[in-house]
Amino acid sequence: MRVALFIPCYVDLINPEVGVSVVRVLRKLGVEVTYPRGQTCCGQPAFNSGYFDEARGVARHFLDVFEKEEWDYIVCPSGSCTTMVSHYYPFIFEELPDERERAETLGHRVREFSDFLVNVLGVKEVGASHSGHAVFHTGCHQRRELGVLNEPRELLRNVAGLELREWENEELCCGFGGTFSVKMPDVSVAMADEKIAALEKSGADILISCDSSCLMHLGGRLKKTGHDTRILHLAQVLDSGKAG
Amino acid sequence: MTTSKPARRRDTTDKRAEGIESKVEGFNARAKEAVKDQELHDSISLFTNKTLTGRNANFWALPNAPELREKAYRTKQETMANLDSYLAQMADAVEERGGNVFFASDGEDVVKYIGDLARCKGAKIITKSKSMATEEIELNHRLEEDYADLDLEIVETDLGEWIAQLAGDTPSHIVGPILHMNKRRVTEVLSGVAGEELPPDVAALGQFARERLREKFINADIGITGANFGVAETGTIATVTNEGNARLVTSVPPVHVVVMGIEKIIPKFEDLSTFVQLLGRSGTGQKITVYTNFITGPRGEGELDGAEEFHLILMDNGRSKLLGTEYEEALYCIRCGSCLNVCPVYRQTGGHAYGSTYSGPIGAVITPLLKGDKEAKDLPYASSLCGACSETCPVGIPLHDLLLKLRNRQVEEGMSTRAESLMFKGFERTMRTPAAYRAGAKVGKIAQKPVVKDGSIKRVPGTGAWTNFRGLAPLAEKSFREMWKEGI
Amino acid sequence: MAGRTEFLEAIRHRTRRGQYKPTKSPDSVWTPRTGTSEPEEIEDPPSRFLEELEALGGHGKRAKNMNEARDYVFDVVREREAKLIVRWDVEYLEKLGIDKPLQREGVEVVFWRESPDLREIAGHADVGISTAAWAVAETGSLLLESGPGMGRSVTLLPPSYIAILPADRVLRTVPEAISKYAASNLPANVCFHTGPSRSGDIEMSLVVGMHGPGDVHVVLIG
Repeated sequence: MRVALFIPCYVDLINPEVGVSVVRVLRKLGVEVTYPRGQTCCGQPAFNSGYFDEARGVARHFLDVFEKEEWDYIVCPSGSCTTMVSHYYPFIFEELPDERERAETLGHRVREFSDFLVNVLGVKEVGASHSGHAVFHTGCHQRRELGVLNEPRELLRNVAGLELREWENEELCCGFGGTFSVKMPDVSVAMADEKIAALEKSGADILISCDSSCLMHLGGRLKKTGHDTRILHLAQVLDSGKAG
Repeated sequence: MTTSKPARRRDTTDKRAEGIESKVEGFNARAKEAVKDQELHDSISLFTNKTLTGRNANFWALPNAPELREKAYRTKQETMANLDSYLAQMADAVEERGGNVFFASDGEDVVKYIGDLARCKGAKIITKSKSMATEEIELNHRLEEDYADLDLEIVETDLGEWIAQLAGDTPSHIVGPILHMNKRRVTEVLSGVAGEELPPDVAALGQFARERLREKFINADIGITGANFGVAETGTIATVTNEGNARLVTSVPPVHVVVMGIEKIIPKFEDLSTFVQLLGRSGTGQKITVYTNFITGPRGEGELDGAEEFHLILMDNGRSKLLGTEYEEALYCIRCGSCLNVCPVYRQTGGHAYGSTYSGPIGAVITPLLKGDKEAKDLPYASSLCGACSETCPVGIPLHDLLLKLRNRQVEEGMSTRAESLMFKGFERTMRTPAAYRAGAKVGKIAQKPVVKDGSIKRVPGTGAWTNFRGLAPLAEKSFREMWKEGI
Repeated sequence: MAGRTEFLEAIRHRTRRGQYKPTKSPDSVWTPRTGTSEPEEIEDPPSRFLEELEALGGHGKRAKNMNEARDYVFDVVREREAKLIVRWDVEYLEKLGIDKPLQREGVEVVFWRESPDLREIAGHADVGISTAAWAVAETGSLLLESGPGMGRSVTLLPPSYIAILPADRVLRTVPEAISKYAASNLPANVCFHTGPSRSGDIEMSLVVGMHGPGDVHVVLIG
């Protein structure tokens, strides 16, 4: 199976260790991964702010990069970026049939990381170990557009030493929402605080998600409010501990 | 008999956020104050948790919930595509039953019709049951102003609406109008009306309201309701309440006036079964409300109550603009309030922050559509686009996607700031050119050096919106691309 | 202000007979909860009806015959210390035979028929009594129709309310009930009345008996 990596721009620039973990986990499971050069971003920031033309420009570049070869799958460690490509590229190219068709064809092959592990590779246990009490945050796009709810939890339940806890109001958005976080900062932060209150109540000391953007927002607020919660992407947790 | 305070024109100059002039702009400023209100937040959490528990139990107890939702969507779609025929059919059906029909293009038409009717009947007391459509056109206030010589007493009869009216306030939630008022405040308001200290006890307050309003119900000359649904086939209108006030408003006075938005129409009587099942379960979490009432024209032969005269006002007020456009789905709304209950933004800010009759996700969508983008600039952006609203909508309105389209509409209309336009053009150019992207990252890493401390970016002018509240992680030493090149 | 023709013409002009492309979010957005239930068969509608009614705070009674029903009415009247009853002027309630016994005990019984102070009397009544056209088991609802002798006010104004109907009039579901009506036989008013009147507007605390009756009884006979 030939798999291409789609690394979101903020993972590339701010949290590259997440990308590294993805590579290592996939290789451990026998998957040959390539990293197509020239990839930059999915274009979501422009799209979410209503700049559809600009988003289309970035999307065209994305299509060019990822159509270069016939990969079986394009794996992405971000629910929201995966959704942008698989769901919203056809949306922004609605009036442009050629590009829409290209987007739809490519879109079917773009899969979020945990979805890929569980539903394509059929793997729920990767031999990881990581001790602590954790809660898992499902990003909104992953929940609603992708419907990938249980897969990350199944993977985490098989991590030795990790206790996965439930937390209140689990479905509530973390408040990031892209430019929303800086356009409406007071509401955005109030939303984060609501999640953090639930986190505190659960007694967890680790926050895990498949979306680095949510982690950046919640993690940033946790830090500012004096919490020492560990912030980890799912890939990093699955990459922990000795093999076997 | 004390006259209740005149209905106050919607005052979006929130007392807690002085200096906001325009009607709906300033969501941000109002929200900023609202999120600090712990009491408000507790009320909203209590209300939404309770309602959602009920909703999740009863909605999913329907064995065919997804099919019902699909059916509701298709029915509404078909109705809108042929709205003129259905309106004609309903008007004919009402007239056949001896009712009167009036087509109102806007709020002014409605006010004039009702005012003239009141004058003609020599009406003094008008009782009203909850109607968002009449809120939208500020009916009470305008009647009192334009027909001041009639000295009309217009009484809201829904408990929450009545209390809001007495307090000179406006409702903040479609289903629970005084979500933002606590018991202490309610006691204060009602004591003022009673002319004595009432005990802060919900049962006692309720009893006082019942007695005071009963007097109005009995002596009303005209009863005004909205309509949750209007049936084209039979001319039936449906009102849905728990208190029984709509039924009293329509049974006792000799004249019944219905103000109905044209989008509330459904084709056949049997379609009521689909929508009645969806409305209660989504909106309040009940299987059905206490009074789900169907009225077809004036009283029947030999009946001794019910209205003698029935007037149906079919109101447009901007709705027809949406027909045949990509925003048409916003008209499918049955006003259940479910989207407000799941919205994480509404949860923090409450309804008044939206500065419009309609709040929450549906408010953010239809206010700019009915009033124009300039009037409601902020609202499409008052959302993190989490999609909970679209997920919960019992009729399947793609609310969060419509918000995205509204944002795009503003950009296309040139409403963005120059700075933002340039920023995103720059963004596009950078992301289309890998070399530019890489170069930008290199520059960023150098530029951030002086302001990174303890693994976070400290205060930098321009990043305050983030860094005032949250730690900001710096660009990593080596990007993923660089690490890949070196070998992972 | 547009007349009917212009108004409708303007709308027809806009509808373009649905030629636009709807936005419709993908079905994946609609995340069903686990445990979407199976269609349940309501085996015993009258029992289920009484269950639902009582869960809402109403009082249910299964009477074997008219006599039992009559006794129940007497009990309620006595307990509420009622002095004035108003009832629908229909044959079914006449057969119930409550009028003379109650009058003997000094309780005034008024029928819903033409009289100068009818509305005022109904407003002062302690108990209202009516029949119902149908009932719905899945929700605990009564279906009240309007008609000669069948005043809406009787079921609305008094603080206590008793509905009496044959048990075989209990239908299973709301759709079933709605299908009983068509344009040809639709009374001016059909009301699904479900349990005691209530409001949660003040701090989500329940007020029972807000504008309509808070004390609701349903007697199923048979």
